[in-house]
Order: sequence, then C-alpha cells, then structure tokens
Amino acid sequence: MNDTVLIAVTSIVGTVAVYIGARKINKRYPYPLTLPILISSMLIVLVLVTFQIPYETYHIGGQWIEKLLGPAVVALAVPLYKQRKILKAYLISLLAGTIVGSIVGISSGLLFTYWAKFDKEIIHSVIPKSVTTPVAIKIIDSIGGNPTLTSILVIIAGMSGSILYTNLYKLLKITHPIARGVGMGSSSHAIGTAQMVDDSEQETVISTVAMTISAIVVSVLAPIVVAFLS
Amino acid sequence: MYIIYLSLQISILYIFYVIGTWIQEALHLSIPGSIIGMLLLFLLLSMKIVKKEWVELGSSLLVRHLPLLFLPIIVGIINYFDLFAGKGLLLIVITIFSTILVMTSSGLVSQWTGRRVEKNRE
Repeated sequence: MNDTVLIAVTSIVGTVAVYIGARKINKRYPYPLTLPILISSMLIVLVLVTFQIPYETYHIGGQWIEKLLGPAVVALAVPLYKQRKILKAYLISLLAGTIVGSIVGISSGLLFTYWAKFDKEIIHSVIPKSVTTPVAIKIIDSIGGNPTLTSILVIIAGMSGSILYTNLYKLLKITHPIARGVGMGSSSHAIGTAQMVDDSEQETVISTVAMTISAIVVSVLAPIVVAFLS
Repeated sequence: MYIIYLSLQISILYIFYVIGTWIQEALHLSIPGSIIGMLLLFLLLSMKIVKKEWVELGSSLLVRHLPLLFLPIIVGIINYFDLFAGKGLLLIVITIFSTILVMTSSGLVSQWTGRRVEKNRE
C-alpha cells in the first residue's frame, strides 16, 4: 500500500471512529455542548494541531467523506416524499416563516457589521451567511465580498444554530414541528438540518424545505439590497 | 446482500446528484446541483416513476449520518484561525446573534401561521 492510500484510509477511519465515539458520548450525556458534530470536529482539529498535520493531508481522506454529501442531500428526497402531505397543508406557514427569516438574516447582518464599522467587503461577506455554502458563494460572486470569509461564517451559523436550538426553542415555547423545522432550516441550513435527523423525520423534512426556500429568497434579495445601499 | 443493495442505491442517488450538477451548469442556476437532484428525485417519486423502495435503504443511511459528512468541511476552519484575531472575533459574535434572530423570527412566524392554518381547518 502506498503512502497516499494509507493516509486516506487513516483519516477516513479516524473520522468515522471519532464520530461514532462522539455519538456514544452524546447518547450518554445528551447536552447541546456534546453535539457529535461539535465534539468530533473539535477533536479532529486538536489532533491535527497537536501532531502538526496540515489540513491538506487530512483532506486526502476527508474528501472521500465529503463526496457523499451530494448524494446525501439528494437522499433527503425520500423523507420529503414521505411527508409531502404535511408540506402541502402548511405551505403558507413554511413560506411566511422562511421569508421573514431571510429578511431578518440579511438586515441584522448588515446592521450589526455597519454599526461595528467594518468595511464594505466584510459587510457584503456577512449577508449570505444563513444559506448553504455553495449558494452563499454564488451570492458573493454577484454582490462582491470575500468567499472564504463567507464560507466560514456559514459554518458558524450552522454550528451555532445546532448548539443553541434546543434551549432557544424551549425558551420561546416553539413546539410546533413546522416552526422547529423552519427556524432551523432558515438560520442554519444543511448543518442544522443534519441535527434534526435524530429528533424527527417531520422536522428534518421541514428544515430541508426551509433551507431550500431560504437559499432562493436570499439569492434574489441580496443583490437588490446591495444595489439599494450603494 | 445488504452491502450490494446499499451500494446500488447510493449509486442511484449519486447519479441524481451528477444530473443535478449538470442541470445547474447548463442553466447557470445558483441552486446547488445536490438540491436540484433532490427536487428531481422527489418529482420522480411523486410521479411513481422511481419507486421509494429503490432508494430507501441508501437514503436512510446517508440522511441518518449527515453530520459525519460535514466534518471534513468544518475541520477546514483550521486553516483560517487567524482570520478571527482581533476585530474578526466580533464577526463571530455578530453571526451567532444574527443566527439566533433568524431562528427566533422564522420559528415564531411559522408557529403562529401554522396554528392559524389549523384553526381555519376546524
């Protein structure tokens, strides 16, 4: 076996093992801060930093895991199909929540960065942070900004929503499955949707649809808002 | 047998992903190929051209472990730690706060409209 294959196998097996371990910890201690995605990514980062392994080396194997992401998003069509009646019944509530969320996301990002006196490139980079990475980068292409910064903010939006939603929903008494899915999909896109998988199929589906609608709404609104401001 | 079924089904899903990407590029759409592939598969399932049983096994495995598939991308942050030194830290706080606002507003609006839908139906 040559080196590349060995590195690839090690990082794939390592990642899967860390993830399985993290799930076990989360089952035993089910708190937001033991979220498998959080502890496993932190552990992998720690290992890479400690042993001074460049990300590019880890990614030789990591890219194979990433390759399954495309078909996994396609796979969401099956729960979507199973829950199609619910979607039809609550279409209005889905649209209303997602559109309001998109507007709040764009305007709060703009307002806070403007207040903090960031320059224009950074302000633009914050605008699409609530939508899934490939769409966010396309939006940056059209409005200008820093695509690397945007993809990191997208991950932070996804991770923070995943960590906070349980307590936030409890605090705000958001109990309706439609509302729980819409809140997650609109604010934390696919990373957030992935967290609902263990909760309920219905919420996962609603979140999937919400992240899709929100991607469309933000792609349409962002260039308009930017044109209006400049 | 399980492994063979699973690989076949994941291959079917992969084909939809490739077709979705192809459609995206051909029509210059901003929606990613994976989401187009998902909508396409949903359409074919609704029209009963594709049977649920053909993809159910692979789909449930991939969907159940979605968080795992995001790990390599998230770990990529490692190359950009310096981006958040100093004032950059404020950007993280802004992003988290804005995320909370989006979750709150969209959640509350759809809860309120959802309950109205139910009331009207009664």
